Amino acid sequence: MRISLNWLKEYVDLQGIPVSEIVHELTMSGLEVEEYTDQSELFKNIIVGEVKEVQKHPDADKLSVCKVFDGMDELQVICGAPNVEAGQKVVFASVGAVIPNGKMELKKAKIRGVESFGMICAEDELLLSEDHTGIMVLDSSFNPGMEISKALGLDDVIMEIGITPNRPDALSHIGVARDLAAIFNKELKYPNLNYKETDEDINSIASVEIQDSTNCPRYAAKVVKDVQVVESPDWLKKKIIQIGLRPINNIVDVTNFILHELGQPLHAFDLDLLAGQKIIVKSTTQEKKFTTLDSKERILPADTLMICDGEREVAIAGVMGGENSEITRSTKNILIESAYFNPSSIRKTSKKLQLSSDSSYRFERGIDFNNVLFAAERAAQLIAEVSGGKICKGNIDAYPVKLKNREVQLRYNSVSKILGYDIPLEKIHNILHLLGFKELKKEENSLTVSVPGFRPDIEREIDLIEEIARIHGYDNIPTISKINITLGEKHDDSEFADKIRDAAISLGFYEMINNPLVSEKFSQLCGEPIALSNPLSEDMANLRTSLLPGVLAVVTRNINKGAKDLALFEIGNVFQRLNNNKIESFEDFNENQNLIFVLSGKETEKTWNSAEKGFDFYSLKGLLKAFIQKITLDNVLTDLYYSDVNSKYDLNFALAYKTESIGWGGKVKKQLLELFEIDQDVFCFEFNLDKLKQITTQPKKFTEPLKYPKVIRDFAFIFDTLVNYGDVNDYISKSSSSLLKKVDLFDIFESEILGTGKKSMAFTLEFFDENRTLTEEEVEKEFNDLIRKVSKEFNATLRGSK
Amino acid sequence: MLDDQIISIKNDFIKVLDEARSTADLEQIRIKFLSRNGLLSQLFDKLKDIPKEQKPLAGKSLNLLRNELTEKFDLKQEEFKLLSDDQKSQIDLTLPGYQYRIGGKHILTQTLDEIKSIFKRLGFSVYEGPEVESDYYNFEALNFPADHPARDMQDTFFISEKFLLRTHTTPVQVRILENQKPPVRAIMPGRVYRNEAVSARSYCMFHQVDGIYVDTDVTFAELKGTLVSFAKEFYGENLRYRFRPSFFPFTEPSAEMDITCFLCNGKGCKICKNTGWLEILGCGMVDPNVFRYVDVDPEKFTGYAFGMGIERIGLLKYGITDIRMYFENDLRFLKQF
Repeated sequence: MRISLNWLKEYVDLQGIPVSEIVHELTMSGLEVEEYTDQSELFKNIIVGEVKEVQKHPDADKLSVCKVFDGMDELQVICGAPNVEAGQKVVFASVGAVIPNGKMELKKAKIRGVESFGMICAEDELLLSEDHTGIMVLDSSFNPGMEISKALGLDDVIMEIGITPNRPDALSHIGVARDLAAIFNKELKYPNLNYKETDEDINSIASVEIQDSTNCPRYAAKVVKDVQVVESPDWLKKKIIQIGLRPINNIVDVTNFILHELGQPLHAFDLDLLAGQKIIVKSTTQEKKFTTLDSKERILPADTLMICDGEREVAIAGVMGGENSEITRSTKNILIESAYFNPSSIRKTSKKLQLSSDSSYRFERGIDFNNVLFAAERAAQLIAEVSGGKICKGNIDAYPVKLKNREVQLRYNSVSKILGYDIPLEKIHNILHLLGFKELKKEENSLTVSVPGFRPDIEREIDLIEEIARIHGYDNIPTISKINITLGEKHDDSEFADKIRDAAISLGFYEMINNPLVSEKFSQLCGEPIALSNPLSEDMANLRTSLLPGVLAVVTRNINKGAKDLALFEIGNVFQRLNNNKIESFEDFNENQNLIFVLSGKETEKTWNSAEKGFDFYSLKGLLKAFIQKITLDNVLTDLYYSDVNSKYDLNFALAYKTESIGWGGKVKKQLLELFEIDQDVFCFEFNLDKLKQITTQPKKFTEPLKYPKVIRDFAFIFDTLVNYGDVNDYISKSSSSLLKKVDLFDIFESEILGTGKKSMAFTLEFFDENRTLTEEEVEKEFNDLIRKVSKEFNATLRGSK
Repeated sequence: MLDDQIISIKNDFIKVLDEARSTADLEQIRIKFLSRNGLLSQLFDKLKDIPKEQKPLAGKSLNLLRNELTEKFDLKQEEFKLLSDDQKSQIDLTLPGYQYRIGGKHILTQTLDEIKSIFKRLGFSVYEGPEVESDYYNFEALNFPADHPARDMQDTFFISEKFLLRTHTTPVQVRILENQKPPVRAIMPGRVYRNEAVSARSYCMFHQVDGIYVDTDVTFAELKGTLVSFAKEFYGENLRYRFRPSFFPFTEPSAEMDITCFLCNGKGCKICKNTGWLEILGCGMVDPNVFRYVDVDPEKFTGYAFGMGIERIGLLKYGITDIRMYFENDLRFLKQF
């Protein structure tokens, strides 16, 4: 919120305190000054000058050579403005001044051969307006040499303060001044009421009836007659401008002034446009159309709190007035509304209508219910002052349900229990007093206070402790360097994923992090997606059901940027809807952590000693094998080959634990790659990481290195080409004794020599026993048995053995 | 005559032996001097032309020469054995080595790892929670009343009336406290979502680490102590810091922690918006209302909580100019870290 320091000074004495200290202290007490502009700094070295003489520039038609008096000397200045004339009082920036617009430091210059010692400014250069048609001509009464900030009253400091949602009291100058008073230990100076009333009683010309007292507990009104709706006087216009608003007319400007002074939103009705000169506060019973004063027609949902007159709606309570009762130039008599509306009612209306105003912003956070009438009276006083109107006698103050100030007890020892240090009691009392809390009961160990109406956030002891801490200063809380450690149970949910990451990067994969929000189309590729009800855009409308679409998008992006060789992985959550119900419980969907690997392009480039090698299906299998070895699951997971028309992969395969697949992948299907405009092979494999995590492996145990020799035997067979390696491998393992420890394929080829439809596969077999040396005979027997069995099982011919 | 030849052969031998650089050189020397047809043998052959009375002396001289040359050669050969392969042969050491692929963790993971390791040393456990969260855990149990403007602080993606994408990792603290009685000391890293327009400085998805410590006698002073030790470890020993009052519905009193801008040393620059300070985390004492939701007695236990964004740290620490780069997964970006 924009706050003017000069305005604050009307309520709290800040004499002699530097701006930088005020700014710092506000920030350190919880009202963060996000930005501030010191206007006197902005206009340094810019003064009132008097133009003594104007002559044509000898060398340029559009330039003049002027003599400007700065209060001490007459200086030669070149000016390009068409309106410069001798005798004018002007805004003069001398050498060394920084022009506010553009922040350029002014230097002595030579313009077309004539020296210039400064500049006569236009309004835009001073950031006063966007006008650059000519120089700014000042009132002739100003003395040359006077600082321009003083002459124009631009000596304010404008602060942009970030107000947290718990501090509606600080959404006004009085509120900010109250914190400053507490910080600097000063008394707050509240404005006084001082106005005359006519004999005409307000109750005889207007009435207020509250039908919905839950949502409108209090409604006060004042009537001012015979006003003249005109431009506001300078003092009011200046205040409105300084806080970043546009002056409209004297009536609207006063209501805006009060809102920013006291934090009480007001509304001014043209009394003569109120049917029956009556105000009724009630909620709508059905949907209705209504035109607000910004000339927009809006649909009001049922149960919207409205201000009505004798016949119709005239304002959306607390949000915006209606066009039908707006103040115009011809308005003569006005009714000022000052009310307290239920915060959550206003918030609902504002949300439903997607209409937020300075008023609704304050009402939904909670305003000072005790100050409602005072604000109406102060508004009446100021309106009378600036419009020549007359204030009718008395007030309307409909207050069917009295709101009470909260009472809160503070136990003194709670302060140190929370903060970790003691604050002297008199400090505590003083801080609470300056912030507007009234002492109700003082006991030996505690204090009970009454919470002022402007602090809806203070409900409990802890809230008082925060008030004391922030004003006393967080800096005063000690920073203790010894901390207590109670060792709890060791727990780390991220340990497994971290282990997976280490394994993946050790195999040459880079980690990706993709946005889980994807388009509906991509999310539907791999399951039943969950949709957002308020997405940012169509391409981020659903949650991903698989990591695959995100990964393919990354492949596309990298290929387009020239990086075609990719080995990447990602760990991330995927989401599946489990039924067609609306998501109302954790049983309606499944959130699961997945892991995906992707390979594409070349594994190695062509080099001086080797040919280039592309990633292929067997790169994927090999890396996966190394990966599961690395995470010590190599003896637990088995390969599974199956065909599935719905699979996203050609060369489809899975890894299974017992009978359940926990990972699947292969070569991504062409149709899918086309969808992502990828024209090179991509190999992916996706794991269900949660399932992988559940597989408990035996704890690591040391095994004695083998003491006895291994016996190695090789054999090669000619098979039909349709025979799979995997089947032969499984068969060998299955049909041999426990002495055979390892089978490796070391050669495979097809050739005319073997005959058509034939291929050769050669295996190395490793035999050993952990407890003894094997005899030649037993290995020989085992080996020969195997040759016989394999030949028979696969109808294979032995090519050779050794 | 023979003596001259002896001296000449000896000198030649010493010279070439000295110049030998490889086993191949050495082999050539052997062939030239010491082989069956070598220069030494040729000298021995000349012995038969020498007058008989001079023979014993000449023979002795030649034997001495042979012994000396053989000895020197053997010595050199020994020396060569001690040399490494490349010195013996003609390998071009400057050729590039073979290619190997390396991988790497994402910079966000690396940053998170660093944060985790510091807090683990301070005795914190690590807990994770779901990204699709219920309104109860994300807001209600964290003291965000329905229809309260505090909910506007976090623009939310909704899935249904009761379910949403979590806007912070703080709901995990509710889940922990539901299942575990104090003392609890834990950090909660994870992914969060905000329905905010995407720009260079803000993205609709990012990562946070929350932390909580609940026990008897936990105070704001201890919160300051813990976070200052973390910040010094993470950002550097000499940092200056401040705790500024702020507001979060789930903590009271609440604070934001600023450190001096390390880009301008507190002088004021574009990154710190001329304030000289950078906000690095939010924190505070756990609000008694939060304790009530999880059935922890606020009269008996107190606690502190804190939370920080991970992406922002990288933007500041590594000068990453656009938050979207984290999630584009451009290989040129991934390989930099």
